[in-house]
Amino acid sequence: MDTAKLHWEKVIKRPDFGAILIATVLFLGFATLDYDGFFNAFTMRNVLHFSAILGLVALGQTLVLIVKEVDLSVGSVYGIGGISYILFEPQLGVIGAATAVLMGAALIGLINAALILRGKLSAVIVTLCGLFFYRGAIYLMTGAGVPRFATEARQHWFNQLLGGQAMGIPNSVWIFLLVALIFHLLLTRSAFGNQLYAVGGDAPSALSRGVRNDLIKTWAFVACSVLAAFAGILTIADRPQTYVSMGYQFELEAIAAAIVGGCSLRGGRGTVLGAILGALIIVSVRYQLVGMGAPSSWFITFVGVLLISVVVFNRLLGVWIYGKQPAAE
Amino acid sequence: MTATTTTHGPADSVVIRTRRSLMRGLVHYRETIAVLVALVLTLVFAVTTNGVFLNHANMVSVTHVTAVLAIIAIGQSLVICAGEIDISVGSIFAMGAMTFLALAPEFGVFAAVGTALLVGFMIGAFNGYLVAYLGIPSLIITLSSLFIFRGIAYMLVQDGALRIPLAERLAMDGYLAFGSGTFFGFNNSVLWMLAFMVVLHLVMFTMPFGNRLLAVGGDAKSATSRGVRVRRVKLTAFIVVGLCAAFAGILEANKVGYADGTTGRLMELEAIAACVVGGCALAGGRMSIIGTIAGAFILASIQSYLVITGTTPQLYLVVMATFVICAALLDARVRQWALRLR
Amino acid sequence: MDNNKTPLIEVRNLNLSFGSFHALKNIDLKLYGGELIGLVGDNGAGKTTLINVMSGVYAPTSGEVCFAGRKVEKFHPKQAIEFGIETIQQSVGLCDNLSIARNFFLGREPVKRILGIPFLDFKAMRKASNDVVHTFGLRDNVSVDDEVATLSGGERQSVKIGRAVAFKNRVIIMDEPTNHLSVREREHVNELAQQLKEQGLLVIYITHDVYQVHRLADRVVIMENGAKVADVRKDEMSADDLEQIIRDGGRNCTDAA
Repeated sequence: MDTAKLHWEKVIKRPDFGAILIATVLFLGFATLDYDGFFNAFTMRNVLHFSAILGLVALGQTLVLIVKEVDLSVGSVYGIGGISYILFEPQLGVIGAATAVLMGAALIGLINAALILRGKLSAVIVTLCGLFFYRGAIYLMTGAGVPRFATEARQHWFNQLLGGQAMGIPNSVWIFLLVALIFHLLLTRSAFGNQLYAVGGDAPSALSRGVRNDLIKTWAFVACSVLAAFAGILTIADRPQTYVSMGYQFELEAIAAAIVGGCSLRGGRGTVLGAILGALIIVSVRYQLVGMGAPSSWFITFVGVLLISVVVFNRLLGVWIYGKQPAAE
Repeated sequence: MTATTTTHGPADSVVIRTRRSLMRGLVHYRETIAVLVALVLTLVFAVTTNGVFLNHANMVSVTHVTAVLAIIAIGQSLVICAGEIDISVGSIFAMGAMTFLALAPEFGVFAAVGTALLVGFMIGAFNGYLVAYLGIPSLIITLSSLFIFRGIAYMLVQDGALRIPLAERLAMDGYLAFGSGTFFGFNNSVLWMLAFMVVLHLVMFTMPFGNRLLAVGGDAKSATSRGVRVRRVKLTAFIVVGLCAAFAGILEANKVGYADGTTGRLMELEAIAACVVGGCALAGGRMSIIGTIAGAFILASIQSYLVITGTTPQLYLVVMATFVICAALLDARVRQWALRLR
Repeated sequence: MDNNKTPLIEVRNLNLSFGSFHALKNIDLKLYGGELIGLVGDNGAGKTTLINVMSGVYAPTSGEVCFAGRKVEKFHPKQAIEFGIETIQQSVGLCDNLSIARNFFLGREPVKRILGIPFLDFKAMRKASNDVVHTFGLRDNVSVDDEVATLSGGERQSVKIGRAVAFKNRVIIMDEPTNHLSVREREHVNELAQQLKEQGLLVIYITHDVYQVHRLADRVVIMENGAKVADVRKDEMSADDLEQIIRDGGRNCTDAA
């Protein structure tokens, strides 16, 4: 009895409790209301593939949110990553292009971190400008064209590896799970993870214990940008042509996924499982709505409603668990 | 001569004293830099385009763009001053424009304006309530509203557009008052902007509410201890930005007679950019209405300049981003330097 | 104290919890005008929490607070301020980004109505704050238009005390008022506290320096772990006895009423 109760308390106090709850309810709902085909192979493949893509970006966002910053530029970085992957290929080859894209993304992360930490600017402003800048750069790089891979590049083993499938599940999902596992271990089992949470939870204390806050935050920003660009590469490997609007408003979906997954803008909270579930929830809802024949505009409204419901729910849950708040702020 | 020697100098010379009061001015009047930059940019743009930038037709268009953006940005500056942020203003703008266009033909201009403002009020109150009374970070709440009301905007037009032909608009009572009439060739949205500027400047700097809003953004705990109702003040700021954004939407809709799902996209980002360029501190407590207008003017001018010089308009995003970062960096540096001089 | 008089502040059976943390336990307290109360206790004993309830920042979980015999129904700093309770805290009370004059009247700004619209009465604000602030020892070259960010710790404290005096309050709560001050400034503040008491105000002086408070106060209230463990008149007990009670955590204390 007692251990069971303790176990429950532990589950409820998890930051990703809300996401676990929603995911369970959602899939039970889809299963019972199943109109014809949410659980068919084609839809499931797409849901898993796009959850993996969004999951990678949400995972990066989670890292940044844990250290109490935010990165609004991931949508544009995702887009510029995918588009540069195609545009660089003729000169650098597939592997070369992928490497260049990831290094470029690391540089973007470094620039973000430098402006925020060295320049002492707010993350909102810096990454908002990043959002504009890289989106503008995408327009300038592509004109109005639709860049696409040549057939050879499409056949290249690297793209086959990233875009193919194994055991009926897209490779993107396997790769994502591998990355997620690495980050899960990093966050829960390593000193780095511990410091990451410390920096976000209580920066002065972390500093006083000798944690190099700026270095940790820099890593979070670099990882966030690299993961976003990598998600762009995975997308292109699967569908080797794209448009200038690639990744438009994707930052919002990524933040929504991370928050639904239990991150807090106040820092110090967030899990890899939460990011995965958050992405899965958002993507499956999109497909469910499409399947129901709802106009595409319903989707963004739904993401908004979901996001508000989750934060309000988490807030009230917090009040319920940790007791009454002070009468006035 | 370095800053330290000036502070410790035995008898300050007139030059040093003048310089110091200049520096004090920079810290105290936050709009100084933005206004100076706006003037310099205007001059540079005028010279490099052989005066095309300053000709009447171009100024009419620049001031109209400035006015619409500035009205949103002024509202945003109040929210930023309270230490919060509202990134849903683009969606509120679209909702305002659409409500107006949908209702004006049937119920007349004034009823449409009233309803559109009511919509802005409601959205602002919704955001403000969740932020102020539940204590959820404004970035998340307004991000959600951005999504929700953008989606609703698409639903309203069912992926099409709302439009009122010019002839029909001209036949409406009171149509000219909201962004379609002109004075000296300028769109009267500029007059509306000036009205917003005067009213909100007075409210912010010469009335008790402004004093409290500044205090809330500067140090909410201290404000509470002096009996300021922090939550109510924040709620009010969100309502004001909702009204401002909806009103800007009305002006724009009235001018072009058209709105679709993409109306006002990226507007939230431009409004924040205008505030930052105009000298509002994102940390809260320091703001300037006049600076924000100068910021909006700067952004509108850059856009127009790129069009005049025939540069690809997509460059606007890149230039604006670079400009805002530089402005923010410069702003922090100049202010630190000025504070050291005292 | 004269028990026929209504206490200025009366606290009955007060409890406050934050979740599972019981911050205040069954506090009973009667405080009268013209008293200088020393409120002492270790860090985390609940001193600041108690005064936060009195000044309306926290609402109690149970129990009641009465101001001059009237029960407080709704806890908000505004109510406390309207009743005339002024709290002087170490880090709270002045907004760095506002000028001294604007801070001075924050929350109750004097207005001049033009066409019924309330405009700030800058002239009155400058004059009143200027007179007070300079009698409380601010340098002459400090203008009331200067931002508070430019003031030193002692200067900030002077502004807060000056403000408390200027508004003719009935209760002044001083929370560690001399912490960051020089010896001379400290004497100055303590004299002020004495002076305020003699004018018939209730002064609550919070500190953990027992000797200082014993010299200053008429009555000393000791708190420990969120409970009141002693409430004694100064002449009933020596400073060393007080210190002993604090050290014992109230275990040997008989007088808890």
